[in-house]
Amino acid sequence: MRSFRGGVHPPYNKATQDRPIERVSPPERVVVPLSQHTGAPCEPSVEKGQEVERGQKLGEAKAFISAPVHTPISGVVKEIAPHPHPVLGEALAVVVEGGGEMEDWPRGDVDPDSLEPEEIRMRVREAGVVGLGGAAFPTAVKLSPPKSIDTVILNGCECEPYLTADHRTMLERAEDCILGLRLVMRAVGAERGMIGVEANKPDAMEALRRASDGEVEVVPLKVKYPQGAEKMLIKALLDREVPTGGLPMDVGVVVQNVGTAVAVTEAVRDGKPLIERVVTVAGEVGRPGNYLVPIGTPFSYLMEVAGGLKEGVSQVVMGGPMMGIAQRSLDVPVVKGTSGILFLREVPPAEEGNCIRCARCVDHCPMELMPTLFVKFAKGERWDLLESAHIMDCIECGSCAYVCPARIPIVHYIKLGKLKVRSLK
Amino acid sequence: MNPILVSVLSMGLLALAFATILAVVNRRLSVREDPRVEAVLEALPSANCGACGFASCRDMAERIVKGDAEPGACPVGGAESARRIAEILGLGEVEVVEKVAVVHCAATSEQKVKVAEYRGVTSCSAANLLGGEYACRYGCLGYGDCVRACRFGAISMVDGRPRVDVERCTGCGKCAQACPREIITLEPYDRERGETIFVACNNPDRAPAVRRVCEVGCIGCRMCARTSDNGAFYMDGNLAKVDYGKVYESGNWDEVAEKCPRKVIHSTGRVRMERAA
Repeated sequence: MRSFRGGVHPPYNKATQDRPIERVSPPERVVVPLSQHTGAPCEPSVEKGQEVERGQKLGEAKAFISAPVHTPISGVVKEIAPHPHPVLGEALAVVVEGGGEMEDWPRGDVDPDSLEPEEIRMRVREAGVVGLGGAAFPTAVKLSPPKSIDTVILNGCECEPYLTADHRTMLERAEDCILGLRLVMRAVGAERGMIGVEANKPDAMEALRRASDGEVEVVPLKVKYPQGAEKMLIKALLDREVPTGGLPMDVGVVVQNVGTAVAVTEAVRDGKPLIERVVTVAGEVGRPGNYLVPIGTPFSYLMEVAGGLKEGVSQVVMGGPMMGIAQRSLDVPVVKGTSGILFLREVPPAEEGNCIRCARCVDHCPMELMPTLFVKFAKGERWDLLESAHIMDCIECGSCAYVCPARIPIVHYIKLGKLKVRSLK
Repeated sequence: MNPILVSVLSMGLLALAFATILAVVNRRLSVREDPRVEAVLEALPSANCGACGFASCRDMAERIVKGDAEPGACPVGGAESARRIAEILGLGEVEVVEKVAVVHCAATSEQKVKVAEYRGVTSCSAANLLGGEYACRYGCLGYGDCVRACRFGAISMVDGRPRVDVERCTGCGKCAQACPREIITLEPYDRERGETIFVACNNPDRAPAVRRVCEVGCIGCRMCARTSDNGAFYMDGNLAKVDYGKVYESGNWDEVAEKCPRKVIHSTGRVRMERAA
C-alpha cells in the first residue's frame, strides 16, 4: 500500500467513529474571534449594539490572505473586545448574544460545470471558508494558485489519534465531499481528482466511491501517522516531492481537507458561510462524540453538552494529541480550525533526559530532517545553525518527540527555534 | 674540512639569509595600528558581552576611533569609560545617562493567579508559546531567561520573579532582549539618590481584569498621577508610567508610592529597600 518514509504508529483511540454527527443547539452567547485563520485578522464590520442575523458578516477581510467571519446565531452584538483564543492566547473578538434553535440552512442548487472559476472563488471567499484540517489557511487563496495545477487531492486520512470528525463527514456527507472536490477542480482548472483515505476507514471509502460514480480516484493509504500531512499525502499518492520551502502548488497539486470540501459545497451551492463545523469531543467526558458546533461556542459549553467532565482529567487539548495545543482555560471558543477537543488523563512527562544519540527521531522524521540537531542548537541558542539545518521545513508532526526515549519535548524546542529564526529575519 | 666547521658555517649562513628575509618582510608588510585603538580598548570593560551590537570590545574600539560609534556606545562601561574614551580622542565632555534594568512585574508566585501546570522546555520564551502557568498574560513567567542572559550575575530569581542587583547591573540590556514579554526595560539611574523609580506592573488591562489575575497589579486608579507634585507619573491607558525627565526632581516620591493602593511604584535603591524593611 502506498505511503511515505518515516512516521510512527500511535494508538488510534478512535472510540467516537461510530457516533453520528450531532447538531449542538447554540449557546446564548458566542465569541467569534476576528482572527481564526492563517494571515491577517479581519476588521470588524458591525458595531456594538447592532442587531445581526444568523450568517451575517461580523468581520471583513481586507488583506489577500485573510477570511471574513460570520455570526452563527441571530442576536445583538454585545461587545468587540479582546478575548481568550485557543491558538493565539488572546485576540479581538465579536461577542453576540441571542440564540434560539437552529434550522438547517436552505439548500440551493448548482451545476459545477457551468460556474466560472472566478465565481467559485468569490463565493468561497465571501463565505469565509478556511482549511478545516487545523491550519485554517484561507481556501480562496489556495483556489487562486499562480501556477498551473493538474491534480486536486482531498485529504481524508485523519491520521491524528482520537479525531473522527472527518471520518463521519465522509460517511454522512459523501456527496457533498465529491461536489466540493469538483468545484475545487473547476476553480483551479485541474483534470484529476483524488481522495486519499487511510485504510482503516473502508466504510468511508465505500461511501465516497458510491457517491463519485468512479469519476474521482479514492485511494487507500497505509495507516501511519502523519499520513494526513499534505506533503506526505502528495508523496504517497503521486510520488511527487514538494521542494524545500515550497507549497503543494509547486508540484501542480492543491490539497484540501474533506471537511473543507463540504464547506466549499455549502458556500457555493447554498451560499452558506462557514458558521459551524464538526468537532470531535473525546476522552474523559460523559458523552464523547462528533458534534456540529457553531463557531464561537465556548469549550466549557461544549463540555457540558458532551456530558461533563469525568474524574482525573489533567489536560485539555484542541486538535489531536500529536499536534494539538494544550489549553489554559475553557473560556476559549471553538474556532474554524478546531477539529477536536480532547480531555486527557495523561500528561507529558515532567522530566526530560539527555539525548542519548540513538537517532530514532531521525529515523522517524517524515521530512527527513535531523530533530536531534534542532534540540542541540536550540539549547545552545545557535539560531543561525538552526536555519541552515532546515528547521523551517519541519511540519511539527511530533513523530520525533513521540519516539524519543529520553522524553525530550523536541517539537517544543523546534517551535521555539522557529520563533527565533523568524524574529531574526 | 672539519665536518663540524662545515655544519656551523652552513647553518650560520642559512640563519643569516632567513633573518634578512624576515627583516625585509617585517618592514615591507608591517601594519601600522592607530595607538588610540589600544588606548580605547583599555578604557572599555573587555567583557566582550556584545551588548553594544559589535562583535567584540576590540571591534568597538576600532569603530570608535574611526568615528563609526559614539564614545558612550558601551552600555557596560557607562559614564566612566565614555569620559576616558572622550579624553583619549580629545572630544571634550560627553554626557552619558547611566541606566539599569528594571522589572515591570513584582508579583511573587503566590500573588499571581495560577491557572495551569506547565510541562515543557524550562525557558520563558518556550513557555510563552503556550501562555505559561499564570493567568496574567503580561506578567513574569518565572523561568529565568533574564537570569541566564545576564553576563554580570546581576539578576536572581526571588519568590518567582527576577530581582536586579543595581550595583552589578551594567545596563547592557541583554535581559531586556531575552524577556519574551518585554517586562524588563532600561531606565535612568540616579546616582545621587542611588535609585531608579519604576512601576512594577506591565498589565494594560482595566481594573477588574487585573484584579482577577494578580494581587499587586496596577489597576489604573490614577492616584500616582494625581498625587505627584510635578507630573512625574502619568497614565498610559490603564497603566501608570514614570516620566524620567521629571521623576528625580519630584519632592514627594515617597508620598506617591505610599498612596498607591496596590504598592506597585518601586525603587531599586538599596537605602530605600532597607528603610522599607
